[in-house]
Amino acid sequence: MSATTETRAATLRYMPEAMGYDALTEAVTAPILTLRVGRVWWTFFLVGLAGTGMMVVSMAWLFWQGIGIWGLNSSNIWGFAIINYVWWIGIGNAGTLISSMLLLTRQKWRASINRFAEAMTLMAAAIAGLYPILHLGRPWLAYWLMPYPNTMEVWPQWRSPLVWDFFAIASYIIFSALFWYTGLIPDLATLRDRAKSRGMKMVYGAFALGWTGSVRQWARMESFHRAMAAMAVPLVCSVHSVVGLDFAAGIAPGWAETIFPPYFVVGAAFSGFAMVMTLAIPIRWGFGLQNLVTLNHLDAIAKLLLFFATIMGISYATEWFMAWYAGDEAERHLVMEHFTGDYAGLYILMLLFNVLAPQLFWLRPARRSVWTLFFVAVLINVGMWFERILITVETPSRGFLPATWRLYVPTVWDWSLWIGSLCFFLTMFLIFVRVVPFISLHEVKELDWQRRKA
Amino acid sequence: MTDRTGECGCGGACGDGDDRLWRTPEDYLRDGPVEAAAEFPKGVRQPALSRRTALKLLAATSLLPAAACAPPPRDIVPYVNMPERVVPGEPLQFATMVTLSGFAQPVLATSREGRPTKLEPNPAYRGAVGTSVFTQGEVLSLYDPDRSRTLLHEGEIASWSELHRTVVERVQPGIAAARGRGLRILTGRVTSPTLLDQLDTLLDRYPGARWHCWEPVDTANEQEGARLAFGRPLEVRPRFDRARRILSLDADFLGPGPAQTANAAAYADGARARARVREMTRLYCVEPSLTITGATAAHRHAVGRGNVAAVAKAVMDALEGQPIDDALPESLTDFVAAAARDLSGHPGEALIVAGRAQPPEVHALVHAINERLGANGRTVSFVAPDAVAARCRPLAPLVREMRAGEVETLVILDGNPVYDAPADLGFGAALREVPFSLHLGLMRNETARACRWHVPALHALESWGDGRTADGQTALQQPLITPLYGGRSPFALLGMLLDPLADFDDVGRRAVRAHWRQASGAADFEAWWSRNLSRGLVEDGARGTVDPGPARRHQGFQPEFEAGRDGAFEAVFLPHPSMWDGRFANNAWLQETPEPLSKLTWGNAALLAPADAEALGVEDGDVVTVMTEEGGFGLPAMVSVGQAPGSVGLFLGYGRLHAGEIGTEIGTDVYPLRRSDALWARPGLALAKGDGRRPLATTQHHHDMHGRDIVRTLDLDAFAAMEPYESHDHPPSLYPDYDYESHAWGMVIDQTVCIGCNACMVACQAENNVPVVGPDEILRGREMHWLRIDRYYKGEPENAETLFQPVTCMHCEKAPCEPVCPVEASVHDSEGLNVQVYNRCIGTRFCQANCPYKVRRFNFFGYGDDQTYENLGEPVYDAVSNPDVSVRSRGVMEKCTYCVQRISRARRTADVEDRPLGPQEVVTACQAACPTRAIVFGDLNNAESPVRVLKDEPHEYALLGELGTRPRTTYLARVRSVNGEVRRP
Repeated sequence: MSATTETRAATLRYMPEAMGYDALTEAVTAPILTLRVGRVWWTFFLVGLAGTGMMVVSMAWLFWQGIGIWGLNSSNIWGFAIINYVWWIGIGNAGTLISSMLLLTRQKWRASINRFAEAMTLMAAAIAGLYPILHLGRPWLAYWLMPYPNTMEVWPQWRSPLVWDFFAIASYIIFSALFWYTGLIPDLATLRDRAKSRGMKMVYGAFALGWTGSVRQWARMESFHRAMAAMAVPLVCSVHSVVGLDFAAGIAPGWAETIFPPYFVVGAAFSGFAMVMTLAIPIRWGFGLQNLVTLNHLDAIAKLLLFFATIMGISYATEWFMAWYAGDEAERHLVMEHFTGDYAGLYILMLLFNVLAPQLFWLRPARRSVWTLFFVAVLINVGMWFERILITVETPSRGFLPATWRLYVPTVWDWSLWIGSLCFFLTMFLIFVRVVPFISLHEVKELDWQRRKA
Repeated sequence: MTDRTGECGCGGACGDGDDRLWRTPEDYLRDGPVEAAAEFPKGVRQPALSRRTALKLLAATSLLPAAACAPPPRDIVPYVNMPERVVPGEPLQFATMVTLSGFAQPVLATSREGRPTKLEPNPAYRGAVGTSVFTQGEVLSLYDPDRSRTLLHEGEIASWSELHRTVVERVQPGIAAARGRGLRILTGRVTSPTLLDQLDTLLDRYPGARWHCWEPVDTANEQEGARLAFGRPLEVRPRFDRARRILSLDADFLGPGPAQTANAAAYADGARARARVREMTRLYCVEPSLTITGATAAHRHAVGRGNVAAVAKAVMDALEGQPIDDALPESLTDFVAAAARDLSGHPGEALIVAGRAQPPEVHALVHAINERLGANGRTVSFVAPDAVAARCRPLAPLVREMRAGEVETLVILDGNPVYDAPADLGFGAALREVPFSLHLGLMRNETARACRWHVPALHALESWGDGRTADGQTALQQPLITPLYGGRSPFALLGMLLDPLADFDDVGRRAVRAHWRQASGAADFEAWWSRNLSRGLVEDGARGTVDPGPARRHQGFQPEFEAGRDGAFEAVFLPHPSMWDGRFANNAWLQETPEPLSKLTWGNAALLAPADAEALGVEDGDVVTVMTEEGGFGLPAMVSVGQAPGSVGLFLGYGRLHAGEIGTEIGTDVYPLRRSDALWARPGLALAKGDGRRPLATTQHHHDMHGRDIVRTLDLDAFAAMEPYESHDHPPSLYPDYDYESHAWGMVIDQTVCIGCNACMVACQAENNVPVVGPDEILRGREMHWLRIDRYYKGEPENAETLFQPVTCMHCEKAPCEPVCPVEASVHDSEGLNVQVYNRCIGTRFCQANCPYKVRRFNFFGYGDDQTYENLGEPVYDAVSNPDVSVRSRGVMEKCTYCVQRISRARRTADVEDRPLGPQEVVTACQAACPTRAIVFGDLNNAESPVRVLKDEPHEYALLGELGTRPRTTYLARVRSVNGEVRRP
């Protein structure tokens, strides 16, 4: 078999069922233009809205009282805010990864999932971006991280990973938004054309930026999108490796590890793909898109999850080995603490969820069982959250001087902000599926065309 | 404007005369009021808003917002007459004294614009080089808003004149008529020569009157022991500076108390390990609960309080070559035998001290042993007690008389017997039988509420006075501030009983001067007065020592060692290292000072030996019930290293019912267990696991070093064999080194002489406006102390070695906090300090996350600002703040600054005087307070500075030096003078 036939075979495998352009357009635009959403959507939306309200209350109380309302202490100086920041930014890693790396490596199957994965990225990164500001003792001075000309002639400390982080997140969010929007333009034009009311025509028309679908526009769009994809690859790596450096640039045992940047990138992609899976399954069920997001797609994601889980396992093992090999008592003690200390339960669960559970995906039936996929994906999300807890909290609770050892106990305000942010994400996502095509229509059509040509 | 004037608007000045206004004669001739011509001709449109109104409104709108945001008005009044020498911004220092249990603690008080803000040791007082935590806490007590502000009669606000009238008309004539019968004065320990003089006069004038003393933590056993041994009462003065071998029998001489600083300084003099020194004081200790004396000792053995007597006898037996009682456990026999051999091998340099809790017979036996060791007159000297002080009687007969209705008038001068008298006496109930009871005190405490009259007292920093130190020197007291809340001195109250019609203005000053005019015998008294007052100490004020003569041996005293009976516990009462007997309960600094060993703040616990705790099935924080015949109560248990099995350590001073907003109902009151026949140990208690848990607000949760190189320990032999100092290897750094052209500050902390007394901690708090966070925040792990003392145990929990390590900001040369701060709030300065710019800090807390020493402190709430604990935000507390140090707001990181304000002041002073800074000119607050000189600070660029010299000691090392942080604060390893013959139990 030649290389081209192989590619063609792969294309066929992940292509949606033959539907024809009209059917495709109808399937994707209906939830926005015509379909009435049912009780499920409204239930989740109201839950999400209530949770968002809780997040707003929690934030207001935070600004009023100060971060003392959280469970922080002098040793565990970072808590839920940083845990959730790292977790969200990890989730936010996957969308752009799917869109850029998979685009560049010509993984055709990405077309069905990249739109909402990118939207997920954007929302997760935006929520993640909130946390470092909320986490500040004096959040109203967050802009001091920016290098702006001022009369004090003070600049940020360029050696600080937090400054790198600020730039990494900011550029990632800006870039992700642009990238997402660029890919969205032709679909917005479709919506404009099909919209029934004048108001919607105006709105979608304005956002479609006068897209006519001319060959020239398609060519420009294509090259621009690919160029952006190429630029996105380093950003995908930088954003989470810089998060890794927030820890690794320090000297604390358990943090000062050179493995952290790549390990964080893999962890981010891992949790991101798990979240894509977690979202894809209810969406395809809710909007009846089983023939657009097929079991083959989910199978492909499951294989990636298996791959990442294995790398995570290797990373954990590397940490243990290095602690033993380096011979530092503090490092060794920390590894012992993982298995026997106060946080041992979390650590064991984390290993189970992140490393062992995805091993199910060696089995083909597991990869093709929607329930198994969903369940394992949720486990991975939880496991990755545990990992963020352990990194952020367990390490400083077992520092160099035993006299300073303390445990971290979150308060009701930690939980309310965390659960509130999950609900906020849910709300934004539910709105997203109602206003923007959540499947990249033009790319799916392109696939359909290719299939028919084949 | 108009309401005070009449209708005509002239303020009532107008009569019937014609006062019409006129402009022209025509106007005048015309009847009726003058009509002003219209300003504008008809037809000109009048604006809705006149020009004037518009301008008024404009002015109002521009000014009103400003007025709305103005701070609430407070009076800021400039001096009408500038006080002499007061320069705004320049602190002044006055020599004065505060007291602890009646004994003088000479201090130099720093006053800023008339506010005392800090107490430093008085250098003229040669007995001590530092201060205690209590002394440091006094400035906070001065401003305490809960201090009694008004005279009370039966709980109602009364006036001084009402009291005065009562005394003049009724009380004093009655006393005079009865020749004092029915008059009782109750005081704490009195050392003030002036007050003693006055009491003497009073007792002479009224022969029927009696003077009683009650001090919850007293030295009665000591005096009685001296009387048993030598046939007369004598004050015992151990000379720790002369002793090379010391055995402490339940004597916490380094622990809290009036003599702590003097004892610690004397002990430390012989206990320092330096390159050229080959001999160190060796300390043995036998005690029931681990104290800082036991923690400092080279060898310590936990023994129940009741069994210490048997140990004393065993020591005597060993010295006399007699066999040691078989009942003693083997490890203790070994311990005693080895210690006795060591002590007898150092004649004239050995010393045995017995604690205040030991019965007089033990003290007498110890005097006999000391005599045998050649100690009397060399390592221990004796002083005849004050003749007047001997006229005071104990509390028990007073309560008997009160109950019998024989006491007509009871004047309580300071103290709180309702709370702290032995429970079996029933002082509170007896007090109700007294027709005229009067309490003079700083606080409206339990006794104040139980007396018919309460008179607010003056704080030590508000009053004139004098007193003796525990080592017998005489100090003078002068006020630094006008009484904040009124208040009267004891001189006024006693004076009123003597001569109620005398003038009580400025009575303290006149009384003290009158006493010393006579006592000094100086020809030129004014010169004597100003000379001694400015020194704070009376020259030649120490009483001479006496030769006690031979010590008598009481053959009848044959204490036996009792192995613990099953289930029965002995309660051991301990004065608390920061509450003392409970009098400091309302002092937030002291409440938040961790107890040196348990590290417990804001409360007390039942200290249990690990084995006992296991047998009872309790863990830290579980409630245990302590039961006696009279009843029982519950308090949280705490598993304590070094607690003797079968005994339970109980700290006095907690569970106050009326201490004030800070101290009320904090901890558990254990005084109900204390009986007049069992003041210090109560045997035969039953302990049981109770219901529930009470969280213990401790500041340290892990006590084992896990084999890490944190506190280095060396035996003296190993130390003596150490190679001379060679420069430390630092791990390499990518960043270039700094150059220090002027100064390079550094610190060395000597862990051999650090006794863990916490004085540095509270001194730092006072100097640097370190906020108090309260028990809830301590439980959350958010204490703010810039200087903490880590305490580690090494070895078996029953008899572990205790190691203290004061940890401040290390001011690392390659500080991990500096590069990680995104806004450059943590920066290195030109003299090597690692400084924190509060204004710039946005609170990312990365610095603390990256600090291996975890010395940074974050304002999770506005602890010092607007989210203060309880009443600590009261405006009056602002007065205790050091104006040279910013009060930090919520959301910023803070930490030790090496007292940068003191460096700056010294530098400016030197600049003004155009001279280089001297090698010992900058003294940090912690260094100044340290009673053992364990903390040494100075300029590393100055070859003469002591810190430079110490940096070259062979046992100097950097904490976590392997990280390459290159801390400027380094440590001297703890060197122990160990007796190889003692097996560690």
